[in-house]
Formats: sequence, C-alpha cells, structure tokens
Amino acid sequence: MRRYLLHTLKTRLRAGRSLYLLTIFGVALGVASVLSVQIINLSAVAAFRGALRAVGSDADLTVRGLNRTLPESLFPEVLATRGVRGAWPVYRLDVAVKGSDSLLLEVMGIDLISPASRESLELLGREKASEGLTQPGWMAVTPELARVQGWSVGDSIEVSCGPREARLVIGALVDFARVTTLAGAKLAVMDISQVQGLLGRPGDLHEIHVEAAAEDRADLKALLERRLGPSVEVLTPTQREDEAAGLLSAFRLNLTALSLISLFVGSFVVYTSSQALLVRRRREFGVLRAVGATRAQLLGLILFEAALVGALGVVLGTGLGYWAARANVDAVSATLTQVYLLNEITSLQVPPWVYLAGAAAGMGAALAGTLLPALDLCLSPPRSLLSSRLLQERVRTSAIPLALAGTGILAMAAAWYRFAADWRPAGFVLGIALLMAIPLFTPILVRAASLLPLSGLGVRYGFRSLAGRWTTTVFTASSLAIAVSMMVGVTLKTSSFRETLEVWLRTSVQADIYVKTESWRGRGDETALSPELISRLSRTRDVVALDRYRRLTVRSGGERIFLAGVETGLPGGEARFPLTGGDPDAAYRQFREEGATLVGETLARRRGLEPGAHLPLVTPDGERRVPIAGIYYDYQPGTGLAVVGLETMERLFGPGPVHSVALYLKPGADTGETVDRLRAAHAGDSLLFRSNRKLRQEVMEIFDQTFAVTRLLQGTSLLIAVAGIILTLLVLAREESAELALYRSLGARRSQLFRIFVGKGLGMGVAGLALGLAGGVLLAGILVFVINRAYFGWTIQVYWPWGTVLVQSATILAAAVLASLYPALAASRTPATQLSREDL
Amino acid sequence: MPFLAGTLIVLSLLGTTLDWKPARSDYTWSFPQDHWARNGYRTEWWYFTGHLRTRGETPRRFGYQFTFFRVGLQPTAPPLDSAWTARDAIMGHAAVTDLMNKRHLFTEILYRATPLLGQFGDGSSSLIAWSRPPAGSSGRWSLHWNGKGFDLAASDEGRDFSFRLTTRGTKGPVFQGPNGYSIKGGDEGAASQYYSFTRMATGGRVSIGGEEHAVEGVSWMDKEFGSNQLGARQIGWDWFSLQLDDGRDLMLYLLRDRRNRVDFANGTLISKEGRTRYLGPEEWSVRATGAWASPHNGARYPAGWRLQVPGEGLELMVTPEVPDSENVSRLLPGLAYWEGPVRVETPSGGSIGQGYVELTGYAERSRPAL
Repeated sequence: MRRYLLHTLKTRLRAGRSLYLLTIFGVALGVASVLSVQIINLSAVAAFRGALRAVGSDADLTVRGLNRTLPESLFPEVLATRGVRGAWPVYRLDVAVKGSDSLLLEVMGIDLISPASRESLELLGREKASEGLTQPGWMAVTPELARVQGWSVGDSIEVSCGPREARLVIGALVDFARVTTLAGAKLAVMDISQVQGLLGRPGDLHEIHVEAAAEDRADLKALLERRLGPSVEVLTPTQREDEAAGLLSAFRLNLTALSLISLFVGSFVVYTSSQALLVRRRREFGVLRAVGATRAQLLGLILFEAALVGALGVVLGTGLGYWAARANVDAVSATLTQVYLLNEITSLQVPPWVYLAGAAAGMGAALAGTLLPALDLCLSPPRSLLSSRLLQERVRTSAIPLALAGTGILAMAAAWYRFAADWRPAGFVLGIALLMAIPLFTPILVRAASLLPLSGLGVRYGFRSLAGRWTTTVFTASSLAIAVSMMVGVTLKTSSFRETLEVWLRTSVQADIYVKTESWRGRGDETALSPELISRLSRTRDVVALDRYRRLTVRSGGERIFLAGVETGLPGGEARFPLTGGDPDAAYRQFREEGATLVGETLARRRGLEPGAHLPLVTPDGERRVPIAGIYYDYQPGTGLAVVGLETMERLFGPGPVHSVALYLKPGADTGETVDRLRAAHAGDSLLFRSNRKLRQEVMEIFDQTFAVTRLLQGTSLLIAVAGIILTLLVLAREESAELALYRSLGARRSQLFRIFVGKGLGMGVAGLALGLAGGVLLAGILVFVINRAYFGWTIQVYWPWGTVLVQSATILAAAVLASLYPALAASRTPATQLSREDL
Repeated sequence: MPFLAGTLIVLSLLGTTLDWKPARSDYTWSFPQDHWARNGYRTEWWYFTGHLRTRGETPRRFGYQFTFFRVGLQPTAPPLDSAWTARDAIMGHAAVTDLMNKRHLFTEILYRATPLLGQFGDGSSSLIAWSRPPAGSSGRWSLHWNGKGFDLAASDEGRDFSFRLTTRGTKGPVFQGPNGYSIKGGDEGAASQYYSFTRMATGGRVSIGGEEHAVEGVSWMDKEFGSNQLGARQIGWDWFSLQLDDGRDLMLYLLRDRRNRVDFANGTLISKEGRTRYLGPEEWSVRATGAWASPHNGARYPAGWRLQVPGEGLELMVTPEVPDSENVSRLLPGLAYWEGPVRVETPSGGSIGQGYVELTGYAERSRPAL
C-alpha cells in the first residue's frame, strides 16, 4: 500500500491540482489568520517589556509610585534595605520632537555612572558614556530612528515635554535591540540628571529597579513594601507583564476569537475540497478495496494525503501569517499607543511555539476536514464505490432533526448562561454554541432555498438541485453562513458602538477648543500646562469660560485607575458626564458641593460600584473613601476612570498642575479663526489646539483604526467562504457530469447549463446569507450585551446599519455569482459523450 | 601611590576636552585645607591602609584598606534643576583582612556625588567625604579630619564587616616627590600632587563575621590629586608602603608597560624624624620571589619580593600575609587588583616591619569603562 501511495502520489496531485490548491489555500488562510493575530498579540506585550529591558536589564523587583511618580528621597531607602544587591533610578518621559509629524520619543533617564544594564553601556562605549554625563542635552537613539528621521551624530533636535522645551543632541547611535530584541526603535537614553533637569521635574522618579541579593524575592518585596510605606508598590517582573497583558486582554481575546473563526471556516473549505477530491477517486478506491485493501489502509492513504496538503497549507499560511502581521502591525501599534497608552510595537516577536501552534491548528483543520468524507468513503461497500452513481442522499430527511438539534444547542447554551453569566468568558461559550448551531440549520435553509418560486429554467433548476447534493452544498453554505454571521455580527456591533460613541461625544465634548501639550501621552505631571499659560489662554479674545482638567493614576481597591479632577467653567458643566441612571441633578449637586465622585461605567461595572457606595482611593495620607454620586457613560478602555472636582482632588492628593483645558467661546465667535490665532500666539509653546469638531473627528479615527484588524479578519473569513463556493460548484460539475451530459443529449443548451450552475452558486449564497444574517444578529447581541459588558463594561446602544448590511449582502451575493462563473463555464462545456451506458 | 580605580576612570574620560587643572611642581600647599577635596582636578583620593590588632595575650590581627576616590565628571556642575546633577562621582573601596583566619573581605561603592548619595565636604566642617554604603546596608561611609588625623567609617552588612577608626598622625605630612610633585612617567604633565601620613596611631572597632573587636594599630595615609597621571603605554603598577621597626618608612612604586617592563619608578624613604629622601630608580631594586594565581579570574600576580636599597643598607624580604587578598570589583566588571598586608623580614627571616602592597594591571581586563 505504501508503495502504491508513493507511486501514484505524483499523478494524483497533478490530476487534482486545482482542488489541492484550493485546499492548501483554505488551510493557509486559516493558519495565516491565527498566526498573524498571535504574532501581533505577543508583540504587543513584548513591546511593553522592551524599553525597560533594554536599559534596565532584568530587574528582580520594580518600585513604583502609586500615583505614577515616587519621591526620589525613597531611593536611598531602597538602597539601604537589607537584601538589596543593587538599585537604579529610572526617569521616563514621552518627549515630542518638534517639526516632526507627532513623533514621540520614549526617553529613559538612567544613571550613566552606575547603570543597571552594563550591556547597554558596553554598546555606548566608555567615551560616549562620559559624553552622556557631561555634554548638555546628550542623547543616545537607535540607528533605525536616526535613519528614518535623517539624524546623524552631532545633530541637534528641538523637543518638548509639557510646557518645557529643550535642545537635545544626538550623541550616539545605539542599537538597543542587540541587548534585547524587544527594544523599541523610538527608545532614547539620556543621563537621569539631564532628563530631569531639562524636561522633567526635580524630586521625582518613575521607577526604581532593584536587584535582589538572594533568590527569594518575596521576602525582599515584603520588606520593601513595609519600609517604603503605602505610597508605593513593589512589583515582580511577572506582575508588571501581567498588568500590561491584562490591559490588553480583551483586545487580544477579541482578535484571537476572530482568527479562530477564520480557521473554523477554513476547515469547512477543507471538508468540501476533500470531498471533491475523494469523489473523483471513488472508482480508484473501489478497485483498491476489490483487490484486498482494507478500510484502515484506505483511511491511512487519505489521511496521509490530507496531512501532506495540510503541511503545504501550513507552510504557505506561515509565510502569509507573518506577512499579514507585518502589514497590520502599524494599525495595532497605533491602537496600543493612542488607546491603551502603551509602547508601540516596533518589532515582531515570534517565539517558536507560535509557529508550532499555527502548524498544529492548520494540520488539525486539514485532518478534521478530511476525516468525515474519508470515513464516509471507507465505510462504503466496494460495489457502491465502483458504481459511477454517487452517494444517495440518505440524509435528505434529516434536515428537520438537524435544525431541531441546532435549536437545542442554542436553547441549552441560553439556559446555561443564566447560571454562568458572572463567568467572564461565558459570552465566548455562547458564541461558540451559536457557531456550532449555524451549520445545523443549513440543510433546512438549503431545502427552503430550493423551494423558492423563481422564474427562468437555469436559475430555478440550479436552486432546486441544491438539495439534491446535500452533503456538498450544505457544508459550503454553512461556511458561508458562519463567515456572514461573523461579518454581520461584528458590523452590527462596531456600527452600534460607533454611533453610540458619536452620540456620547456630542454630549461630552461641548467646549469649543481643547488645549493640551504635544507630549500629552506622557500622563505625568511633566506634561502639564503652566498656570501662566492657562491664565493667558483665559484672557484670549472671545474666550468666555475655561474647563480645567487634571489627571492622576491612583490606587483604588488593589488596582490602578485614572482619576480626573475637573473644574468646569460654565454652570452645569458636569452634564458632560451623562449618567447611566438616577437623578442627574442630585448627583451633579453632590459632585459639585459635597466632593463626591462620578464613576465611569467600566470601573463601576467591574467593581460592582453603585451610587451611594464609596470609592476607596489611596492618597498620600492613606486610604480615603469618596462617596459615589453617580455612574456615567464612559468608553475609555483599560482599568477605568473616575472623576472628582478639582478642589476635591487637591484636598485628597495635594495641589498639582493642570494637564489640559477646554475653552468656551462667546456665541458667534469663529472657532477655526480662534484656533489659528491661538496657534500663532503660542507657536513656540509646544501646544496642541483642537477644535470641537477636530477632536471628535480624531476620536472617531482612532476608533476606526482600532477595528482595522477586525475588518481584515472578517474579510479573510469571507474570502475563504467564497473559495468554498468555487470548490463546491467544481465538485458538483464533476459529480453531475453524467447528468449534465444527459441534459446536453436531450437538447439543453450550454447557456442553460451555465445558468443552472450560476443558480446553484446563487442558491448557496442566498442560503448562507439568510442564515448568516440571522446568526449575525444573534452574534451581535452576544458581542454587545455579553462579551462587551464582561470585558469592557460599556453600554452600547444598538443601531441597525441597514445600508451597510444591504451593501454587504449584495456583495456576498455578487461574490457567490462571481465564484460560480468559472465552475459554470466548466459545467456548460460538458460534452454529451460523458454519458455512459451505466449512467442510463 | 594608590591611584588605582580613580586613574582607571580617568582613562575612560580621556578624549574629553574639559578644562582640568594640571599638577604643578610649584603648587602652594596649605594644610589642613588640602586634606579636603581640591576641585578642578580630575581625580583625587584619600587612601588608608593599616595593621590592627586586638588587645590581650593572643591578639587577633587585621589588615584594612579604606579609600575614597573623587572622580571629576566636569569642572563645574551643570546648571540643571536635578538632584542627580553632579560635578563628581564618588567611589569607595574598603577591605578587611583577617590574618588569623587568612580571610580577605572587600566591598565598594560607586555613586554620583549628590546630596542623595554622597558628597565631598568643602572645608566648612570636619567632613571630608561621605557616601551611602553598598546596596543592602544602612548607615554611611565617612571620612573626617579630627585635627590630628582622620576618622573613618565603612560597613557592608551583606559581606558582614565594618570598621570605625580614629587615626592620629605621628609623622608628617610628608611629600612624595619634591614639594609633593610626584612624576609618573615620561609623558608631559604625567604627575600628581601627593603627600602622605606614613605612620598614624590608630584605634577603634572592627566588626567581622558578627564579632566586634576593639583594635589599635598603625595606619598609612596617602592623599593624591591631579588630572593626568598615567601614560598610554602604562598598564599597571606595583606599589609598596612599608613601615620598618626602626622608625623608617619606605614608599616605592614602579609603573609597568604593556610588555610588563618597568616604564617608570620612584621612591621615598622617610626617616624616623620625618625627613624625606627621594629615591631614583637606580637607587633601589625589586625582584619577585614568588607568584600567586587568582582563583577568581586566573590573573597571575607576583607574591613575595626581595627589595634592596643599597645606599640605605636595606635588604628586605616582603611576604604577603594572605595570598588571596585580591579585590575583585562587582560595580566595575573586569576591574581586579591585589591589595594586601605584607610582613617585612630580613633575608635570614627576622621580622623588621610591616606594610601594604598594591599590584594592578595583572588581571586581563583591569581598565573597565566607567
């Protein structure tokens, strides 16, 4: 049998090359989806670690201030703690480069005299390190950044951080990726005194890296926590990475789920193509069985070929996946930096296990897709295999039981959810149940499509004959239905979310002009606006009022949250925080007059906070419990946000600078003209002035960017499904060659056969679309009301994007027709001589 | 002439064109002010070694080393609003050698000189320098002028040793080289300002391995500052500070080139009364009589010397008390040197004194970047 396999392999591959290629394509796209998403996910988390690892080596512990910074007076305390072998201060800033298109450098201020990472210093060279200590504004950047920006050693660049500006000198080009491949290209290293003195604030550090003398870090962690008090936290590397990974978990999970659906759809394509290939070889297998081959031998033969084809698909998919990851990394990176305020991804991280997982997924899909038709064929008696008549459609009558089974699955999933609603991933279980149920409804839909009262012989016959080749068409329609479900579900969700966001922005963004520093992403007090500047802004012509906004990262209930301090310039300005319920007037009064907080919905939902309860906040004076006046709609990703009055914030955390302001103009004033005037007046101040419209537009652009990868994955699934239609029709053209020959001999014209096949393609499209629309609506419900709430905590109002869905439906039907053109052409060329005596 | 690590760091700064003061033969000395930091020079160090013993019938004997280095980063501090801004770096080395247990313990610090981590006094108080101890230890390392000598303290809780000592000069200060101008080679300006207290009565406490001992003994102190000492071809040096029982003290140094040949040498003999006689290289000779291979890095050091000053009738056998007295730096990886107590004997074996020897440039990489 082995000899037979090897001898005939080449011939078989050549004979069925188009089907094999389509199978490989199906597997490859599935593998590529999974692989690219995993590469991007891993790279996102790796990017977070990169900058620190490049200059900070692998610290055993990191001491961090709860409110982003910690007083540098704690450094000697850390140093003096028993069990500490070394300690290094770190001052981090995001610095905007003037004259560039919003280029932000991740500047790490380290102690160049006693750096944590000797490797980085070795790369610098001893003379360069000395220059770093003595030359004003000296900075080491990566060669990659220097190349992109056209910088050379010795060049000066103007930068800003908050209101502070400085001239920095490119002192050295250091490829930090040689220390760790995770290092970002925009990493820049300076001596800590220069960063703090030129751009930062005296007295503060962002982190202290600690090397432990003994292997047991837990004792040292506890000792440091006791010694340093409640205003700091001591984190292990695992805790730090978990924090970043946790922040991105929902984002990553979303992409992973979508990529798995692509793989799922891919396995349907494999099924269809395997069946097509096996149909061609029924006679061959019949002969083999007749001459003594066992069922197990046949099965082995088929699965070996499937494995071979799967392996080729894996190879192609791996390359395709890496390319897709490269092509999409910028979009994901932009989401990370703009939405999650994390480090951007500048290099892809691909540990070997990712390739192995991708290969396993691809091989699994190839084998699983082949197994059913292979078993079907192996279990058939040799006589039926040798007959040119194909399988009788013995399951035609099982359409209703299958539909009932699908209904049962959905009912059971819904019933289970009533008990498991608190389990965070419960929504994904519902989604999986839905995707499992969809194929079970396909037979009844295919039968229904065949009963549609259509005119025209070709199309009508094409529709009606669908049910006649149940096993082939159903799987194709199923894969299309799943792809459509995904597309429609995600479209409904994103459109609803987009619309909700736009409505929310209209309520929340009410001022005319928003002002912040170019380096706003830095989040720290370094990025704040100076009081003099705010005073000048308030005196600008046409400005009648001004909102002040200060933000802090604070500790609450064992986690970090954003706390905003707001002072509204106009009476009733609190209404920019629309509440999810309760009496708004009472809540806003409590917020304004009693120092209560308004808690963002995300935070409230996750922590089970309600109006009347208290929000614990760790302040420099210990924990304070702030009464909650209300819960407001909040669409910020991450750990969540709460708002207090600026005065309340100062009372709790001490005075501090304001990070952004919003200006209100007198009625009739020209916003655009005022923005231009402000930009001209503050040309050297490194400020960003944005009109109300521009700000809303930017938010929506970020939103669209966030979902760019989602759209790509949707497209991939659809592409796989359309490939499935081509396959199916090719299979049918082959299966029904005798039947077509009979029609031809009875006088049917080629154009009629052509139309029959276009009808079949359209029929599968209609069935898949109908089922997909229904599934998509259900999937959207799961995404919006279950998964979104569990992972993001947002309230999304449901909007129906009829226009978009209509366009998508038309596109799918057009794709189905287009996909059927080539098979239809092939079928129409079936000569009457294909008709054999046996067929009669 | 223990200009070890300071000089190494200076090497790392070669190529910078900052305006440092050179050592001068006509330098105007002013004591006690010159005990404090002399800013404007690139490097400076206060260097103490000594032999200590406990009281009693069976005294425990210890050797110790304590050094503060000032490494000038720039002549004046830059006008930056940051507590990390520093004109100098402060480096410290401390070692205790337990002669009974043949055990040598070494520790070190390296910080930028800022109020947070360590500083040099300006002469307005007795404080000459202080620094935080090594990571994991509390307290301070410090050096004070007490009017007659120096008070010094160092500790490392991780290595479990500390000392707190008071010294009193019984001789000196004496200049090493005419007017304290010590030439280090043939290159122009290769010199330092250099004086010593070659014999200082010492008392205090030494703690080692959890046991604290009241000790007394004799120390040797060197203070040196300058901006350009070593020539580019010089890779290390052998330095001897010997206190003879007849009251004389002898300092000898020889600088070696890359082929381990003597590139430059000089010495000073100090009489019991404190008079100095400068010894040219032709007036004395040193020959190694043994060798020791470091188990830490494989470096091969000379161990044991025959030392002759014919004009003074001196023929001395110098022997390390503890062969493994190598100081291996963790903060400056690659830096290793031998610094340990020695006994001084006649060729027939009679004890005639004690001292310290420093050997640098024997380890493969002993000139690390800062």
